[in-house]
Amino acid sequence: MLNKTFLIAKREFLTRIKKKSFLIMTLVSPLLILLFYGLIFYFTVNKSIGEENKKIAIIDNAQLLKQDLENTKTISFHFESDQTEKLNDLLNESFGYYAVLKIEKNEAGEMIYQLLAKDQPSIGLVSTIEDKIEAKLKDEQLQQKGIDKALLSQINNTRVNIETKKLTDNGFEEGNAGLTTAIGFVGAILIYFFIFLYGVQVMRGVIEEKTNRIVEVIVSSVKPFELMMGKISGIALVGLTQFLIWVGLVAALSGPVSGLVMQLMDVNPTEISAMSQGAGAAGTENTSKFGSLMAGLSNLNIPLIVGLFTFYFIAGYLFYGALFAAIGSAVDNETDTQQFMFPVTMPLVFSFVLAQTIVIQDPNSTLSIWLSMIPFSSPIIMMVRLPFGIPPLQIFASMAFMIAGFVFTVWFAGRIYRIGILTYGKKPSYKEIFKWLFQKN
Amino acid sequence: MLIQINNVTKKYQNHTALSHINLDIPSGIIFGLLGPNGAGKTSLIRILTQITEADEGSILLDGVPLNRTHVQAMGYLPEERGLYKKMQVADQLLYLAELKGIPNKEARQRLKYWVDKFEIKTWLGKKVEELSKGMQQKIQFIGTVLHEPKLIILDEPFSGFDPINAQILTEEILALKEKGATIIFSTHRMDSVELLCDKIALINLSEKVLDGAVPQLKEQYKKNQFEVQFEGQLNLNQDLFNLVTSEEKYGVQKISISTQNRISNREILNHLLQSNINLLSFKEELPSMEEIFIEAVKQKNNLHHAE
Repeated sequence: MLNKTFLIAKREFLTRIKKKSFLIMTLVSPLLILLFYGLIFYFTVNKSIGEENKKIAIIDNAQLLKQDLENTKTISFHFESDQTEKLNDLLNESFGYYAVLKIEKNEAGEMIYQLLAKDQPSIGLVSTIEDKIEAKLKDEQLQQKGIDKALLSQINNTRVNIETKKLTDNGFEEGNAGLTTAIGFVGAILIYFFIFLYGVQVMRGVIEEKTNRIVEVIVSSVKPFELMMGKISGIALVGLTQFLIWVGLVAALSGPVSGLVMQLMDVNPTEISAMSQGAGAAGTENTSKFGSLMAGLSNLNIPLIVGLFTFYFIAGYLFYGALFAAIGSAVDNETDTQQFMFPVTMPLVFSFVLAQTIVIQDPNSTLSIWLSMIPFSSPIIMMVRLPFGIPPLQIFASMAFMIAGFVFTVWFAGRIYRIGILTYGKKPSYKEIFKWLFQKN
Repeated sequence: MLIQINNVTKKYQNHTALSHINLDIPSGIIFGLLGPNGAGKTSLIRILTQITEADEGSILLDGVPLNRTHVQAMGYLPEERGLYKKMQVADQLLYLAELKGIPNKEARQRLKYWVDKFEIKTWLGKKVEELSKGMQQKIQFIGTVLHEPKLIILDEPFSGFDPINAQILTEEILALKEKGATIIFSTHRMDSVELLCDKIALINLSEKVLDGAVPQLKEQYKKNQFEVQFEGQLNLNQDLFNLVTSEEKYGVQKISISTQNRISNREILNHLLQSNINLLSFKEELPSMEEIFIEAVKQKNNLHHAE
């Protein structure tokens, strides 16, 4: 049995890595993924890139702002006198105002703020203006209470920087929330893409064998279950090979590339040394930050992270890969897969989104713990939670559920697969597929 | 390889594919499994090849109940042909043999024989999708027999073959029989197998209608009907003979007559030659496989109605 599964896996592996597309995908896809996340990161950091500079006219009938409001990076404020007939003109191109902010006091003495624009201003813009005005009014009130300007700017510059320390066997040790987040997140991304890309390959491979009609010849030599497992494991090996090539590439290229990045960012090595040697406060702060980063890294349990990553990488793929194989067996062509793909990919996408939001914000919440137990989401969620420290009991429970989960999906998929690969014609309904589960061979 | 099929029944969700089939297939013969499309031929073949299992009944191969070890001894050519399109011919054939348990090295040796026989040396490095349909058929046939199975099962083997390739295939099937293999093949084109098959079984609507050796079946179903060609005036003895058909071409009469009772050819000829005719030919009209099938189905239906 194992011998034949091995033969099938070998064929899957060899035919796939011999393809030109494998080489291209292996080299190009990490660049694309890097580019993709690089762009997201870039736009998140430089929010202003997406926005144009906006001129806002302020008609301050209440004399609230005293003809003075600080501009922001993207908004410039200009005070205009109130002439009702002029309002429309202000929004015309000759003035170039994006919007007019009107401030009035009503009869009850309350302030009324109105932003008049040609289109619906974004929430971001509105809240930026609100923040600016609120800050200005607060400052004014504080000054009225006798706090002078120098003191005020000192107050406004109050900064709190929390160091994180985690309770370990050696007592409280320094951690690094940023780094741990990044490591967990990279693990989750890798597992997510791996399951998705190679799960779909399994599905395509099954459909291909079915439409080629070779499958009937093969199952006269091997059991359908052996064929399915051979295919899933062969494709897994392709994925692992690809992954190892990436690791190799990263190791080989990280030196030159980081040099290149330094150059691009205009960081001059002499400046760095000057900075660290300089007596200035900035210099020491930078070196201490770098030191704490390294300390955080050394405090991470690297073997545990690597071990669990490997486990969830493989188990998660088996769990989903089997389901993808079942989908492929049930249909005759790829267009029919949509309906069945949805319930399989949904939990995957769902857990990936939750991983980036709720789980990463609170890795030890009840929701996070439950998500890391359910095999549909645990491979991704566990990666995100892992660097923050998970009690051993939870790790064992999650792994046990994961193993039970993939044993179940492999069984489930095998039952569908053995009937599906020999069934041609009309796309089966969920009800029919359910019947296949218990149908005799 | 001797095959005994005992009382095999197979039901699918909505219909019965096989109902209480009993068949004995002796070793070393070519056995034809005949019947119209949808009769249950492929269902029976899939049970033999262990792609599916019978709901009831048993199958013995050389006295041993069918099991996974038998897979190696079988070669199966399904009705719907298929190969991995992107795979090279040699790799593909070796892979199929390896799945049957033949070590790669040995499979390479055996492949040489077929490469010479079919003169396909130049194809070996090509991908299957680059070959013509006829070439693909040949490759698939080699894939079916490369592991030298004792039992070869061919489902509609001639479909899609042109006459020349069909002839080559027929020769190969006969050669494999000479080497001792048992060959089962199914077809709905019943006349195509009369010359090739030693024994046949007719299946209709999931039931076996009849089985036996081809000459015996012909004997059993013959209607004592004869074709006579002659010149001159024939006085037919109406008490002994029925005139079934008659036609005349260029002065030559061609008639079909049937006899009520079983009388010897000698007696028939004696009767005919009492008339002043120039007898050109005389032969017994044996029923075709198709006619036997129709007759057997009719008889079976009558039997059912009588019940």
